[in-house]
Amino acid sequence: MSKIVILGAGISGHVAASHLRRKLSKNHKVVVVSPNSNYQWIPSNIWVGIGRMKSEKILFPLAPLYKKKGIGFKQAKAISFFPEGDKHEHKPYVLSEFVVGDKKGQQEKVTYDYLINATGPKLNFEGTEGLIPGKNKAYSVCTYTHADHAWEALNALIQDMKKGKKAKILIGTGHAKSTCQGAAFEYILNVEHELHRHNVRDMAEITWIANEYKLGDFGMDGMLLSYGSMTMKSNELVEMIFEDRGIKWITGAAVNKIEEGIAHYENLDGEYKTESYDFAMLIPSFSGHGFKAYDKNENDITEKLFKGFMIVDADYTQKPYEEWSVKDWPETYQNPNYKNIFAPGIAFAPPHSISKPRISKNGTDITPAPPRTGMPSGITAKLVAENIIDSIKNGKESLHNKGSMGNMGAACIASAGFGIMKGSGVSITTFPIVPDYEKYPKTQGRHLGKTFGDIGLAGHWLKLALHYAFIYKAKMRPFWWLIPE
Amino acid sequence: MTERISGYQRFKMTNPIIQFFKFIYLSIKIMFIVAGGHGGTRKAV
Ligand SMILES: Cc1cc2nc3c(=O)[nH]c(=O)nc-3n(C[C@H](O)[C@H](O)[C@H](O)COP(=O)(O)OP(=O)(O)OC[C@H]3O[C@@H](n4cnc5c(N)ncnc54)[C@H](O)[C@@H]3O)c2cc1C
Repeated sequence: MSKIVILGAGISGHVAASHLRRKLSKNHKVVVVSPNSNYQWIPSNIWVGIGRMKSEKILFPLAPLYKKKGIGFKQAKAISFFPEGDKHEHKPYVLSEFVVGDKKGQQEKVTYDYLINATGPKLNFEGTEGLIPGKNKAYSVCTYTHADHAWEALNALIQDMKKGKKAKILIGTGHAKSTCQGAAFEYILNVEHELHRHNVRDMAEITWIANEYKLGDFGMDGMLLSYGSMTMKSNELVEMIFEDRGIKWITGAAVNKIEEGIAHYENLDGEYKTESYDFAMLIPSFSGHGFKAYDKNENDITEKLFKGFMIVDADYTQKPYEEWSVKDWPETYQNPNYKNIFAPGIAFAPPHSISKPRISKNGTDITPAPPRTGMPSGITAKLVAENIIDSIKNGKESLHNKGSMGNMGAACIASAGFGIMKGSGVSITTFPIVPDYEKYPKTQGRHLGKTFGDIGLAGHWLKLALHYAFIYKAKMRPFWWLIPE
Repeated sequence: MTERISGYQRFKMTNPIIQFFKFIYLSIKIMFIVAGGHGGTRKAV
């Protein structure tokens, strides 16, 4: 009998748990440890943040589903890792603390044979002074509660605009090293669309602020893509959309402080500037959770497991941008020191960014961190689950399933406005996610046929279809496993 | 505001019939790209 413990019930943790449960007999235990009671389909938070979808539509409670499917569930948070056990417990374990119920505050040693760390990112609001969701007129859409608050504030501003108030809206990234520009991009387009619907578009000045060197970088060094019969750069595509919608932009900006209605930032020229606003939505930087790890004698071995995020089979050697290779990126998400520990999704430490690093004249590193969107999070979780299943079934380590972000495609279906007939979406796919300059030297590291952009109503329908399909899949309804990650 | 998307382009982007076929086309294309496989990048040693 094997016991597989999964930390986190987000996209990657839930995908791993559901595949493990489906393919392993009931002799084997699958246990999820996560502080959240609900599963949330994060990509639809964008629509919660513009009041077009209720947060109840993007979430469901995990406990009843896990009970029905035979997946153990502890509503607790992992605190520290003991991959060799300790003097009293010979099995490896994760020290976890319950967050609700009678056991709230109590700690438990959750032992395992295999551990999947799918704890995603810590939303590092503290990394930017004054960036606190719901304070200083700045909001977030990273969770459904944040998105609910964002909509309350935006709605209040819309009502003021209807009474004649002119407003400034600022959307983008809130730190020199934020990622997830795609989510902010979706949100700015949706907000702009909603202002039209409420007949107040002419009352608002909308500005994009981001740490990207150029528009359309998306933390992926931008991309060359096919658009209809043309080949264009992602910055040209995004510029076209922003200009057409009257959205201004500030790029290469490291937001470093937020005061009531004022964002302070430094740009790549080393200038310190401010931008005022009546409503802002700024994505924070993502960091690791600050977990500690100990060996059986309780010596600190955190550096064997973590480098901020969890160390996996990536090449972490420090090297200049020109020497970066697609081979630096992990393939199996296995920790090299403790081979029964894996970290898919956002939980793994990337070898470096994907975008070219850029330093301001004052020496501030203003480089988007590499994104790990829903699709790669799901794909990497599934391949980790499959390797564990094979290892258990074969009685020896099996790492046949591989999935490097340098050999994997991703689709970013960015909603650009909600509405069955009036909606819009910007569909962008990239293959591979991390550019492979050896394979595709003439097309900026990507396969042009598989890297394309498209704008139109169909994009909105696609995003909506994905919303329903992925919630169906997450609820493990009949034949859920036929829907790809 | 600079009109960067022409009236004709906009018509194509919003026409539900054209977009219905686009939806089918994009769904298949995206499925092909994303679910079409993934793998390693390093040679086995
Ligand atoms: C607003 C927004 C919109 C987005 N839109 C898209 C999109 O359109 N398409 C797309 O592909 N991607 C999108 N993304 C990205 C996508 O949501 C992420 O890639 C994905 O959620 C990452 O999955 P994950 O499981 O690694 O992390 P998460 O989903 O963050 O899950 C982490 C889990 O770990 C749990 N956890 C945290 N701490 C602990 C602890 N100490 N112990 C145990 N568990 C813990 C959390 O509660 C959570 O359940 C969007 C992201 C945002 C913020």
